[in-house]
Amino acid sequence: MRILLAEDDTILGDGISAGLKLGGYAVDWVRDGEAARLALLDHAYDACVLDLGLPRRDGLSVLSEIRGRGNLLPVLILTARDTSADKISGLDAGADDYLTKPFDLPELLARLRALIRRSAGDARPVLEHGNVVLEPATRRVTCSGETVLLSAREYALLHDLLRHQNQIRTRAQLEESLYAWGEETGSNTVEVYIHHLRKKFGADFIRTIRGVGYQLGEEKS
Amino acid sequence: MIFHLSHRHAPSLRWRLLGLVSIACALILGLAAQLTYRQARHEVQEMMDFNMSKMAQLMLIQAQQGADHLADLPAALSGLRGLRAGRSQMALEYRVGTAGGALLVRSPLAPDAAPSGPPGFSTITQDGHPWRSLILETGDAAYRIQVTQSVSSRDKEALEIAVKTVLPLAVLFPLLIAAIYFSVRQGLKPLESLAHEVSGRSPENLTPLAPAAIPREAQALVAAINRLMYRLSGSLENERRFTADAAHELRTPLAATRIQTQVALLTGDQEQRNHALSQAMAGLDRATRMVDQLLRLARLDPLAELARKEPVDLAGLVNDAVAGVLDTAPERRIEARIDSPATRDADPDLLHIALRNLIDNALRYSLPESTIEVVLCHQEGGLRMEVRDEGPGVPAADLPRIAERFYRGSAVQAEGSGLGLAIVARIAELHGARLELLNRDTGGFIARLCWPD
Repeated sequence: MRILLAEDDTILGDGISAGLKLGGYAVDWVRDGEAARLALLDHAYDACVLDLGLPRRDGLSVLSEIRGRGNLLPVLILTARDTSADKISGLDAGADDYLTKPFDLPELLARLRALIRRSAGDARPVLEHGNVVLEPATRRVTCSGETVLLSAREYALLHDLLRHQNQIRTRAQLEESLYAWGEETGSNTVEVYIHHLRKKFGADFIRTIRGVGYQLGEEKS
Repeated sequence: MIFHLSHRHAPSLRWRLLGLVSIACALILGLAAQLTYRQARHEVQEMMDFNMSKMAQLMLIQAQQGADHLADLPAALSGLRGLRAGRSQMALEYRVGTAGGALLVRSPLAPDAAPSGPPGFSTITQDGHPWRSLILETGDAAYRIQVTQSVSSRDKEALEIAVKTVLPLAVLFPLLIAAIYFSVRQGLKPLESLAHEVSGRSPENLTPLAPAAIPREAQALVAAINRLMYRLSGSLENERRFTADAAHELRTPLAATRIQTQVALLTGDQEQRNHALSQAMAGLDRATRMVDQLLRLARLDPLAELARKEPVDLAGLVNDAVAGVLDTAPERRIEARIDSPATRDADPDLLHIALRNLIDNALRYSLPESTIEVVLCHQEGGLRMEVRDEGPGVPAADLPRIAERFYRGSAVQAEGSGLGLAIVARIAELHGARLELLNRDTGGFIARLCWPD
């Protein structure tokens, strides 16, 4: 899953970015409001972590603009002011949640998980397909109760497919979800990870829709 | 801070008013007594003179009718009844004689000697005491009569009348004082309620006092208090904003440090852990620098003037600062240029901090391979100590505000505390200099301290 981080402070941005990557997300980090606006126009993100005090264009204005365009992306705002006025104006401008600096990395990750879950119209904390269960909070995946060990990319790919059950995911969409800017993407990396997942969960687990993309197979129980 | 005014030593307006009014009343009462006495004396004089002349006339008429009757007069007079006793001191003495001086009759205390002097009123001395005397003669000058009265008895009477007139006033004096006391207290009520309103306020309540209930005499005071309140609320607001801004600016490096530390704890990768830890350290450094700057500003803020002042060689200061930068960053291109050596009364440490802040800004905002010049020169307008860089400069819209505390230009990705220029501006102010900030025509930025001629 891919997240846009808009934070102008170098050290804080570096830390959040590293923390989100540890949480299994692909992270694009921008340092000003204008860059955030452009990134949101060009790419599909699963969530956005937005600092309110950004140079060039402040976070609230970025938020209002994307909401004005009907973008329903989950947005978590970061604020350094603990006055409620800031939080209220942030929530009113369309933010889904907020954190006051300084905050805890595990809390940021938990809140993002909840936001992403709710944005998929699913409030359940675990994702299931047939006998495969994925718990985002612990990043544990089981098949028929047995824990399956997955690499970060395999996990991310599985997570994406589980979140978009009954939808066909194009290779471009999956790539965008897996990789941040500047990360090396080989020409057939998605295929490689699909192959790994089929080996672990069975060949029917993922269907290839020729010329379009991939989709989870029929549920078996 | 609590200011405690001692009631014992503070002069009370009420008691002062009461004292002044009482003294004035007492003086007026004394003056009234004096005037009454004099008036009474005058009246007694007139009345008694009238009595004396009546008596003298009656006696002369009596004498003209026959001198024989005169011999019986004293007995007849003393035999009269119905006269009040005890007024003997007011008694009129008489002596009737012939024009030749022979005594015909006299009252017991009347003077023995034949009266000398012309007819009419006069004051004579008898037995060492002054007496009022009236001498009358019959038309044919056969008889001469003298009526006398003791002057002291007349004065005594006048005093008695005066005392009787003034005494009721004196008795009423304490009542008057009491009335004044209550009037003063009542009159000062609005002041007391004003004091009550002020003292009952919470320190946060700096709204103006309501002027409707305030007496005209206190309005100047209230207006002054309100002006003070206005200024206080202004500086309190500044203080609040500064505290909020300071907290806000500290939160970001603290958040960064926290997150980086957690990343270091969570990651299994040694390289990432080292990176996160060094970043956490950098965050701590930033927070520390911020606290240092805040403390520096807090110490500079209340100063009315420099605590330390000595002649400082500015050329030496510039050279030292440049050498200091080259010690820590030898790869940077920074040059000192002394066009006009000069000395100014200054605190050398503060001035060094100011210059160092300006140089640090130039280092931060310009490319490593660009040149920074630190120049001491004398130009039209005054002596200039300035730092010139070849960086991007500052957008014109931000220029007037960049020396404000925590103000960051809208396009700046700053790592600074946002206090550096505010500190420089304050140090300049303490040194009688101006902080001038301007973009160079050729690109780049100039920050200068200017001592006007």
